[in-house]
Amino acid sequence: MNVIESENLTKAFRVRQKEKGMRGSLRAILRPRIKEVQAVDGISFSVEAGEMLAFIGPNGAGKSTTIKMLTGILYPDGGRARVLDIDPTKQRRRLAYEIGTVFGQKEQLWTHLTPYDNFRFFGAIYDSPDRETESRIRELADTFELGPFLNTPVRSLSLGQRIRCEIVASLIHRPRVLFLDEPTIGLDPVVKENIRALIRQMNRELGTTIFLTSHDVGDIEKLCRRIIIVNSGRIVLDDSMEHLKNHYLDRKIVEAKLREEAPLPAAEGITLLKQKGGRVKFQVDTGKLRINDALHMIDAENLEDINISNVPLESIITEIYKAEGRVDGIS
Amino acid sequence: MRKSLRLRKYRVIYQSVLMENLQYAANIAMGFISFAIIIFVFIQLWNYIYSSPGELIAGYDKAQMIWYVMITETIWFGAPSHVVTRQVATDIRGGNIAYLIGKPYHYCLYCLARYTGGWSIQLPMFALLAAGLGMVLVGPLPRFRPLALLAAIPVVIAGITIDAVLRLCISMISFWIEDSAPFQWLYSKLLLVVGTLFPVEIFPEALQPLVKLTPVYTVCYGPAKLIVDFSTEKYLEILLAQALYLGAAWGLMLFLYGKGAKKLYVNGG
Amino acid sequence: MSTAVKNQLRVCLLAVKYNIMREMLNKATFLTNIGFMVLNNAAFILQWMILFHIKEDIGGYTMREVMLLWGLAASTFGLSRILFARAFSLPDLIVSGKLDSYLVQPKNVLLSVITSATNTSAIGDLLYGLILLCVFCFSLKRLFLFLLFTVTGAVILAAFALLLGSLSFWFLRADAFAQHLMNSSISFSTYPDGIFHGAARFLLYQVLPVGMVIYRPVHVMVDFDMGSLARILAYTVLICALAAAVFYRGLRRYASSNLMEARM
Repeated sequence: MNVIESENLTKAFRVRQKEKGMRGSLRAILRPRIKEVQAVDGISFSVEAGEMLAFIGPNGAGKSTTIKMLTGILYPDGGRARVLDIDPTKQRRRLAYEIGTVFGQKEQLWTHLTPYDNFRFFGAIYDSPDRETESRIRELADTFELGPFLNTPVRSLSLGQRIRCEIVASLIHRPRVLFLDEPTIGLDPVVKENIRALIRQMNRELGTTIFLTSHDVGDIEKLCRRIIIVNSGRIVLDDSMEHLKNHYLDRKIVEAKLREEAPLPAAEGITLLKQKGGRVKFQVDTGKLRINDALHMIDAENLEDINISNVPLESIITEIYKAEGRVDGIS
Repeated sequence: MRKSLRLRKYRVIYQSVLMENLQYAANIAMGFISFAIIIFVFIQLWNYIYSSPGELIAGYDKAQMIWYVMITETIWFGAPSHVVTRQVATDIRGGNIAYLIGKPYHYCLYCLARYTGGWSIQLPMFALLAAGLGMVLVGPLPRFRPLALLAAIPVVIAGITIDAVLRLCISMISFWIEDSAPFQWLYSKLLLVVGTLFPVEIFPEALQPLVKLTPVYTVCYGPAKLIVDFSTEKYLEILLAQALYLGAAWGLMLFLYGKGAKKLYVNGG
Repeated sequence: MSTAVKNQLRVCLLAVKYNIMREMLNKATFLTNIGFMVLNNAAFILQWMILFHIKEDIGGYTMREVMLLWGLAASTFGLSRILFARAFSLPDLIVSGKLDSYLVQPKNVLLSVITSATNTSAIGDLLYGLILLCVFCFSLKRLFLFLLFTVTGAVILAAFALLLGSLSFWFLRADAFAQHLMNSSISFSTYPDGIFHGAARFLLYQVLPVGMVIYRPVHVMVDFDMGSLARILAYTVLICALAAAVFYRGLRRYASSNLMEARM
């Protein structure tokens, strides 16, 4: 069954522009210039129950706008969205009982209250009786190890603890679909890993469908089996993670340290990336040249150290963006 | 040469605020609504209180009384104080001050330059509006002399600056207590109730010397009185009072700022 | 009462409670804010003492009625800002995209939004109004009417603020416009309606809500009239319905955090 369906969604925003200098300021008073920006331009896809999907793209690609249309925050200009067979624009409240949302950059928690009080508040929002909320909090606090700071005001928590609480708050009502908009933004690597484990656990143990947008390639690589890349409001790639890797991982990066400087043998399929003294870095296109053959071309006697690696996912994604004519954004 | 270079930065700060404010000219124009309505309320109020236009209350006839209030209200609306009140309090409480202190300018002068950039657009706009409203709804000011207006300009500027410096002093309290806003309210109310709504002469004789000691005399009364009813004697008296006030307030501001900044260094920001 | 309404009410009350708890975190600041607001309002007694010294009746009011008017104005604006503070800063929420978290909650967005903050000094206003009533013109019946009109007035003001604030869904600059109309309403509220004539009266009774929030209630408290009372109640319901309709219509245009000014 499809949990999320998006058919040709579109959304445009009006952006006011100002020109430089005193004259520009004066002109803007008389005749403000307004530009229409097409944030989402015909996006269609569907997500099955239990899937973990990464929705990625550079800044301003339309990721958040899409997520906001799916959760009922924004009205689409055109197209149709259905989540759990509910139309987000028409039955916003009904949908809200079924889904959870975490916006990494926006806080839903009351900072002067403890996580415990916050969870009680969310319980009330979702009409759950106090006793039920209590047991749910205990259950979630156990699973996600919130015990030590359950009664510390949110403002005194670390960013990582806070995000953990944000995620738990969105789970109080047992949502079937969880939308996560940049959940790991601004977190240190350890906490990031922690959050990822939490998300994985949720998907595995509760069967929650996860829809995730992120800038962080690590999030995507470690969590998702499917990836949708958007750029300038359109989908440029919708593929399984495995396929994406196989497709783009037909290239290996070889870094070798030689005892004595030697020229790299010229052969089809080998591209020199960097050479400095005895250090050489080149790329092998395994479609054209087997990695074995490539290695044979190096004099084993002269070899001091060697390292063979895949092209990092990050570069793959940057390449996909580039093909679309935009590069900034991915970190 | 070096001196002029050193002062140039405040001119640049002033200019950029001027530009920023031009962008909000539409908002300022919207401020005319509040202003016009207040003026309108006062015209109605004094129309009701004066039984005949020729009647004198505290030495003012009806037209003078209304023009007096219009001038004080113009200054009130034309010099929006948030740059020297809320902004400063936020800088200090929010810790932003630690960065601003390190900049190669004096924080107080920086605030004053920004403040001046704000009112030098807004005040003329409100003054024009007030003049227009006055001419239509009240009629020309009796015995008005253009020269008096010209002479009063420095008094107006000095008055607004004294007000800003005093408000800065109050904002400096934020170095020591969490919320200086209530003190700003009290100061504002003093200016509004004692200085803006009526001329000082309306208070009982016994109270008047006391009122003259408050900032009301230099900030509100001085400018308005001179425009409505100019006399050389009053002019000199008010200029002298302003010079004394400005000097004292300036000293207090620098003193409080120095103390506050030192405390900041001790506590490490 | 249906469970949905009960649940909604439970959430709103919890929100107001949490808001006040937040303000009370620093007790000293909380109390000084309230105390200073009372003093702040009391400063205007001086203005009226002076005016009544010049003339005994102003717009048909004596000192007693003006104090009743002032008291009702203070309490009404106070209560409105205690319960519905966010209605008054709605444009900011719309323009900077802060409605998101309310839109993903399965509750009434409108109520969740307007009850999501409170204003401490407004408690001072509310108290000040009650103090004036007790000092200048107390009677049990008047106290009852005073409380009733404080509630209707607070609701009308919030609805009016909501109505004006919702304009921000369409016009970026609506915030200043809303702000100034609200300020103007406050300015009018503290002067006797008897000094206004003609177009001004029309403005006060038909355009701004001042007539229904302050003037008519004061007349009813001075000289009881059932018809006026009924009108006030009907107006309250009507303006709420209108405000809600405009808000929901505007919500379709909500742009989350995408409404920004790009510099060229």
